[in-house]
Amino acid sequence: MLNKLRAVALLAAVLIMGLTLSGNVLAENEIKIGAIYPLTGAAASTGLEMKNALELAVEIINNETKGLNLPLAATAGLPNLKNAKIKLIFADHQGNPQVGATEAERLITQEKVVAIIGAYFSNVTATASQVAERYGIPFMNPESSSATLTQRGFKWFFRTTPHDDLFVHNFFDFLKAVEQKKGVKPKRIARMNENTLWGTETTKLEDKLAKERGYNIVEKITYPAKSTQLTSEVQRLKASNADLIMQSSYLGDAILAMKTYKEQGFTPEAILANNAGFNDSEFLKTLGKDGNFILSREVWALDLTSRNPLIKQVNDLYSQKYKVNFNGNSARSFTGLFVLADAINRAKSTEPEAIRKALSETNVPGNQLIMPWGGVKFDAAGQNTLGSGIIVQVQDGKYVTVWPFELASKDIIWPMPGWDKR
Amino acid sequence: MTARRRNIQVVAALAAACALPLAVTNPGHQNFLILILMFAQVGVAWNILGGYAGQVSLGHAAFFGIGAYTSTVLLTHAGLTPWIGMLVGGLVASAFAVLIGWPCFRLKGHYFSMATIAVAEIMQVMFTNWEGVGGAVGLYVPLKDQGWEAMVFNTSKLPYYYIALGLLVATLAANWAIEKSFLGYYFRAIKDEPEAARSLGISLTRYKLVAIAISSFFTALGGSFYAQKELFIDPGSVLTTALSIKMALVTILGGVGSLFGPVVGSLLLTGIEEVTRQVFGGSGQGTDLILYALIIIGVAVFYPTGIMGWLKQRRFLVAEVKK
Amino acid sequence: MSGEILLQTILSGVLIGLIYALVAVGLTMIYGVMDIVNFAHGEFLMFGMYSSFWLFALFGLDPLVTLPLTVLMLFALGLAVYQVVIKRITNAPMLSQIFATFGLMILFRGIAQFLWKPDFRTVENSLSSGKVIFSGLHFGLPQIIAALGAVLATGATWWFINRTRLGAALEATAQDKEAAQLMGIPSQRMFALAWGIGAACAGVAGVLLSTFFPIFPEVGANFILIAFVVVALGGFGSVSGAFWAGIIVGVVEVLGGFLLGPEYKLAIVLALFLAVILVRPQGLMGRAQT
Repeated sequence: MLNKLRAVALLAAVLIMGLTLSGNVLAENEIKIGAIYPLTGAAASTGLEMKNALELAVEIINNETKGLNLPLAATAGLPNLKNAKIKLIFADHQGNPQVGATEAERLITQEKVVAIIGAYFSNVTATASQVAERYGIPFMNPESSSATLTQRGFKWFFRTTPHDDLFVHNFFDFLKAVEQKKGVKPKRIARMNENTLWGTETTKLEDKLAKERGYNIVEKITYPAKSTQLTSEVQRLKASNADLIMQSSYLGDAILAMKTYKEQGFTPEAILANNAGFNDSEFLKTLGKDGNFILSREVWALDLTSRNPLIKQVNDLYSQKYKVNFNGNSARSFTGLFVLADAINRAKSTEPEAIRKALSETNVPGNQLIMPWGGVKFDAAGQNTLGSGIIVQVQDGKYVTVWPFELASKDIIWPMPGWDKR
Repeated sequence: MTARRRNIQVVAALAAACALPLAVTNPGHQNFLILILMFAQVGVAWNILGGYAGQVSLGHAAFFGIGAYTSTVLLTHAGLTPWIGMLVGGLVASAFAVLIGWPCFRLKGHYFSMATIAVAEIMQVMFTNWEGVGGAVGLYVPLKDQGWEAMVFNTSKLPYYYIALGLLVATLAANWAIEKSFLGYYFRAIKDEPEAARSLGISLTRYKLVAIAISSFFTALGGSFYAQKELFIDPGSVLTTALSIKMALVTILGGVGSLFGPVVGSLLLTGIEEVTRQVFGGSGQGTDLILYALIIIGVAVFYPTGIMGWLKQRRFLVAEVKK
Repeated sequence: MSGEILLQTILSGVLIGLIYALVAVGLTMIYGVMDIVNFAHGEFLMFGMYSSFWLFALFGLDPLVTLPLTVLMLFALGLAVYQVVIKRITNAPMLSQIFATFGLMILFRGIAQFLWKPDFRTVENSLSSGKVIFSGLHFGLPQIIAALGAVLATGATWWFINRTRLGAALEATAQDKEAAQLMGIPSQRMFALAWGIGAACAGVAGVLLSTFFPIFPEVGANFILIAFVVVALGGFGSVSGAFWAGIIVGVVEVLGGFLLGPEYKLAIVLALFLAVILVRPQGLMGRAQT
């Protein structure tokens, strides 16, 4: 009987531990924001970069940072809330939608966060934002691009980044512009997309738009992101004789695909990539000169600094601290947090409804962002209407803006030279 | 232990479980309890095949996914209430299980386990590429209809708690009935003495099929419940092998082939998982994984028969000493 | 479709298949001797890749040069895993063994992330970079060297088991532990040896892969399911079975993906696997089940 008692006591202890694990006592004048990101698992590398960007943003907001044209930089904390400081509570969703929902629930009910920011993966954003919607807590989504997220009629969901619909439109607008400027038009397009939610939604949009705008898609490939080899895919591309590849890949498969293209001697006229793996900090480090001439959809580039010095100033702070430059993901997370903090400051309150109202009235001008956007302003669905994308090309180992032409710092190189002529 | 005393214990436990949310009022904590009940329920369902009949399936996510997809598709396409959709999902899963089980049961041991993994992985690939059920994009359960008929509850966690508890009790009751009936006897015979069972004229395949049909039915109910709770499903979350393994882990940790084993196992495993992730997960250093792994390795090494098995041994030893 | 592309596809499948075979050889060896399925096998592979990467990044040593060192380290790791964990669960039920090796898998991933961050790494410009073009067929030099290395390592393992006294002792333990013990073969040492060699094989595969595959803590997940399929297809415990099954899986994956659509390539491999074991429940070259 004694043993049984001991066992029961053990179980009870675990249960109680789980139940009592709440946040510490709220320090005075602190505003808690939950941040749900993939901190372990296959996307942890990206998750940590975004975590770093958020931490830098908090540092700038909480301390007096002079000389930056960012809202809230010059003051310590949020001036309208007695200089309250932002405190981020990070949670790891492991790339699992159920875990994301559980963490959102915990952050809201136990940590008592006033808003949530996250979650990079579109499917985790889907479940976590549903929890926030139920509780009536604002959910700020800086980087998930699935178009369906803002079609759910949510009241508490706000997204600063443009979504896939716009990005795919960018692709075709870009092709049109290139055709007008350089007189080249791809005749045989092949698309090569990974098969999770993101790749699949992009696929649908690409097929639809290609048809509408009279482009000929000759090969349609969706491949499993966790592939050990991409030879069959590349053989198909080769056989299709495509002159333009539209590709959506995460980092591992992007590297593998590039290596396989080179190995198989496959040189299309251009590779038009959909951000992600192709713009990860590791991509060029790994591929070196083989990464040159890739065209990629982006939302951020360092050379945009010529138009807005803020970009370089903030990037310097980031690279001093973490030894890498910003990229599209980390820059978007950074921006999302600023928009959220700005709204809380304007709300002059930590009441969810007040923050929601302030968010919906958000109007951040473009020059106060490190993004090349017109600004941040949300429509009724919570989508930022002033976001836009750019196209960058890797030239001499750097990402340079090549489109829209008025933002471009370099001319586009098309077609790309063969692998052995570099 | 007399039957009477046992009955009293069971009733007391059930009453305590019903009353628990009165003491635990924070919705985040209630959510934690629901997770425990949810994984306990699928663990108990898994245990019917994997524990009692000894056929170690590592592909139960296939049934879980069928349950989740069936009820959700019926809800979103035909407006059918998930209460009925859930039962339909269970039946579909049972039919599928029998179809799969019939050829696979000629395989033994690790070959059977591998075959079940293969089946579930093929299912995942197929659903990922099947546009009609949302493909990789997944399916949403609409938030707007709420209440008991739609099995969606916006503001309160309590209904989910009681539904999960109800499902667990139903699954336990089915399990208990099996244990007491001739089926339980046959299952144990299949597991421990297959040759002897065969020579007694018991058709091994037939009773293995019975076991997988029941087991998959209840697993699918768990899948439907998951869909209603999270309101979003995609192949990566309801058809993944990680989920199959978790069902097995819950059962192994608690005690294979023991009625309440998976309940104890889920309490511990979910507890360890949530606690390590909540405390260390935010650091982004992987320390939560290390701690979680060390605990489960420790359990496997020091309590190879699970918590219930360990308790039984201790009780046996104590009884021996008393003699 | 031209014959050239078909030939290219098949040969590329053989090249990757040989790597699968080598990963699977270690797995099947552990299984054959101990009846334990090692869920953490992909993580041995991952450690092999990281060892290769760090020796390259810190000391500028080429993966092919440091291969023996990595093999030794992985052998030691295999022994350690056996001594610390596996030894204690030798006679435990199959399910708790699965539980333990699954725990090891998560532990190793956690350790890799803790020590080396989750970043993707690659070994750039190793000795074996470049490519070979042979009458219109393209092959990466790293892949060719990796495939050759895999053949050598698999062959060496086969030779060890079938042609040496120690190997014979190992095989005897695999066949009948009690009888072998009676004949004076210490089974515990044989088990340890199997874990050492099993991990070392995965280590070799890791080194060979590191010259053309990105390295990250979760990389084992990409290979483990395929390795399981290869082991079961070849027959649990059969080294030569794993070798041929590896090639078959590689070719079917690449060719099937090419012909029927890359999104189904894993499903095609798994369907083939199911079809084979339903006809031959002991796998291609496994011992008949008792």
